Amino acid sequence: MAWIVFIALAVLTIGGALGVVVTRNVVHAALALLVSLIAVAGVYLVLFAEFLALVQVLIYGGAIIIVLMFAIMLTRSADYPRITDNKQWPLAALASLAFLGVLAPSFVIDRVENTQSQNASFEGIGESLFTTWAVPFEIASLVLLVALIGAIIIARSDEEEG
Amino acid sequence: MEWAWLIPIFSFAAAPLIVLFGKYLPSKGAFLSILAIVAGFGGFWVVLISWMGADPSTSGCFTSENTHLLTCDYERSWFNAGRIGDVGSVTLNWGILIDPLTIAVLGLVTFVAMMVQIYSLAYMKGDPRFGWYFAIHSMFAAAMLTLVLADNFLLLYVAWELVGICSYLLIGFWHERAAAREAAKKAFIVTRIGDVGLLIGILLIYREVGTFSMLDAFEAVRTGAMSEGVTTAAAILLFLGAMGKSAQIPFHVWLPDAMEGPTPVSALIHAATMVIAGVFLVARTFPIFEAYDADPLLIVSIVGLVTALVAATIALVATDLKRILAYSTISHLGLMMLSLGAFGYTAAIFHMMAHGFSKALLFLGAGSVLHSTEFQETGEMGGLRKVMPITAIVFSIGALSLGGIPILAGFWSKDEILVAVSDNRNVTFIVLTLFTAMLSALYMARAMFLVFFGPLKSQNEHAHESPGAMVVPMILLGVLALGFGLISFNWPGSYGGIGTFVYFKHAHDFHFEIWLGAVSIVLAVGAFIAAYLIYVKRSVSLENTRSNFFGILKVIENKYYFDEVYQWTIDRVVLVFSRSIAFFDRAIVNDIIVNGPADVTRKLGIAIRVHVTGHVYTYTLAMAIGSIGMAIFVWLRVA
Amino acid sequence: MVDLVWFQLLSAVLFVIGLYGVMSRRSAVLIVMSIELMLNAVNINLIAAASHMEGTGKFSNFDGQLIAIFIITVAAAEVGLALAVILRMYRNKSTVNVDEINLMKW
Repeated sequence: MAWIVFIALAVLTIGGALGVVVTRNVVHAALALLVSLIAVAGVYLVLFAEFLALVQVLIYGGAIIIVLMFAIMLTRSADYPRITDNKQWPLAALASLAFLGVLAPSFVIDRVENTQSQNASFEGIGESLFTTWAVPFEIASLVLLVALIGAIIIARSDEEEG
Repeated sequence: MEWAWLIPIFSFAAAPLIVLFGKYLPSKGAFLSILAIVAGFGGFWVVLISWMGADPSTSGCFTSENTHLLTCDYERSWFNAGRIGDVGSVTLNWGILIDPLTIAVLGLVTFVAMMVQIYSLAYMKGDPRFGWYFAIHSMFAAAMLTLVLADNFLLLYVAWELVGICSYLLIGFWHERAAAREAAKKAFIVTRIGDVGLLIGILLIYREVGTFSMLDAFEAVRTGAMSEGVTTAAAILLFLGAMGKSAQIPFHVWLPDAMEGPTPVSALIHAATMVIAGVFLVARTFPIFEAYDADPLLIVSIVGLVTALVAATIALVATDLKRILAYSTISHLGLMMLSLGAFGYTAAIFHMMAHGFSKALLFLGAGSVLHSTEFQETGEMGGLRKVMPITAIVFSIGALSLGGIPILAGFWSKDEILVAVSDNRNVTFIVLTLFTAMLSALYMARAMFLVFFGPLKSQNEHAHESPGAMVVPMILLGVLALGFGLISFNWPGSYGGIGTFVYFKHAHDFHFEIWLGAVSIVLAVGAFIAAYLIYVKRSVSLENTRSNFFGILKVIENKYYFDEVYQWTIDRVVLVFSRSIAFFDRAIVNDIIVNGPADVTRKLGIAIRVHVTGHVYTYTLAMAIGSIGMAIFVWLRVA
Repeated sequence: MVDLVWFQLLSAVLFVIGLYGVMSRRSAVLIVMSIELMLNAVNINLIAAASHMEGTGKFSNFDGQLIAIFIITVAAAEVGLALAVILRMYRNKSTVNVDEINLMKW
């Protein structure tokens, strides 16, 4: 049963990802990305990471896809429906396959035999986040704040600067 | 006396002051220059009187073993190279050396420079670079005074080169004129050839003696520490420098062209500074020349005699007034060298001074004539005594003095030379010297008669006597040219003649060879009378002589083709050699050795830079490939 | 039960696809999307490891999930900044194609 679900989610994930990198239409690419991200949330569920699945759907499926849609909309370019790859795409494909060629064997060779999936409770995550990981958590919030301010400054139009 | 170094310092200080502040000062700062040289002249008297009162017990003074003269030497350490006392360390001093030679030349230089500067006030009036002229003039005088006072070869060489550069600036003073520029370059380059010899000579002496001090060098020569060969070589090399500066054949070609400068500059160069430096150098280093068998002195006397003879013949046929005077200077410099070469040390210095006053006078007179007529060719002049009486009188005094008419200064000094030559050189020398003296009288008479006597040309009727600032220096110089010979006599009681003041090893009283004096008087007076008949009375025609000696005349009128030969050498030898060197420089040094590595680097850079596309994805690709490489590397390490 | 290695292989494939997208696409928007794919691949890897391993010492067995949370946080910040950069680029250059921007070329 878990196998069937995993394979289905894996197919959706990879299919969506391939859609992102091969489609000629930006909006289609965004939709394919959405499919891929939701499928990743499913993968988290298979791994008994319910909190992460929730976060994945909310932040990726909600916020990030919306932000990317904004990017597409605000930079509405005439050639968005028929974007092409750059000239080095065959080289890129070769390099990517080579990367897979070194990455996959390293997982297979050092494979771990333990197959016992474990559950992590919401309480456990919360407690750990605010005790062991409290300082990184605060830093992460600071990073978000700085990124917000930076984004505003970068995106502000020139006329307002004077 | 130890303050004598102030004498050139005054003038050295005046030069930059005039250049920097001249335009804010009255008369553009010329008075500073004159004040400085007047102070220098005052300094000369102080030095003379205190030297008279000095004796070997005075601090710094001693009786030199080399010259048997009371010599005073004051030196200060300049700088040390290396720690004092270490092997190979060098201490360079600068200092002043005062002996009768120094004092005599000091008086000549300060007095003539003072006269010339006062004269220039009027002569250069209205020139746009009036202040600059006086600044360089000051510098020139200061350099010459330093040269005279220097007690070591290094300081002497520095001053020597300063004299050279100042003469370059003054000869090329009117550098808007191409001829002036060329003349300045010629003077600088020709004297420079001699300077190389001087420098090598100085370094040779330094290598042998280990110090630049002249007194140490003389001492080394006297004690035999310097071997005969080295001494002779050093003397000849020093003489090479002297030949360049004193315009001895074959380096004489620059002096006639130096006429392109303002006339007072010519007066200064010819009488008191530049050309005197060579004679002074030989006199100063006389112990080196005289050591062992005195072979170098034979060379000196031969060069001097040939120079005197050749220049005198050219002066006889030249038509430009200033050129006549220039060749006359070369001829008399030759006589001075001849005198030195014939052991006539006193005679040479005496003649240097007598000639200096007379020649300065002649040049100032010529300048006065040019100032008022604007002509340089003697053919355009004539009869000027009617409109410029004072100039005519003083010019005639100068001419008679140089011509060797008795009582005037030039007669006595020339006579001393004749005595020295007849005492120490063979009969050929004395005959040729007498011949030169006669030629000298002839061309001076010719210049004098052509310019001031005969009918006045209509174009010169507007000519007028020069202003007072020009006339007064001429009169003062005229008095000296007239009466300077008096210092050569014995004045019973106090003074034993110049022979007891400036001498080399042996003081000698004034003496007069009756037969020599008679011959020289007859020749000089005869020459003047002949010139009078030819150029004033026109009762003797030269046409026959001219046609008989046409070939020789042509050679002489072309100045023995010295300039042409030099030009040919430069065109055919020097330039061809230079071009091949230049080609080597361009083709090999420039293109291969210098540009080669640069070219390779550039081509390499162009070849390598293709990866810098400026595209983000190129860099990403490179990063991915790098990651793969690193992963493989880690694998290999683990495996 | 699905073995850990299969999740790892999934994450590897997803990562490589994202890498290919970053290297081959021209539009800056699509490059950002490809980066998101790569970040997700990393997250899958972390969470899979967290689910299959015992925690040791002071670290609990779900610390991998916490790191994934931080990654998602940073990814959110990154997308926001990317949007700003893309907007600025579009305004200045009238394009979002990275191959038309090569100021850093030699």
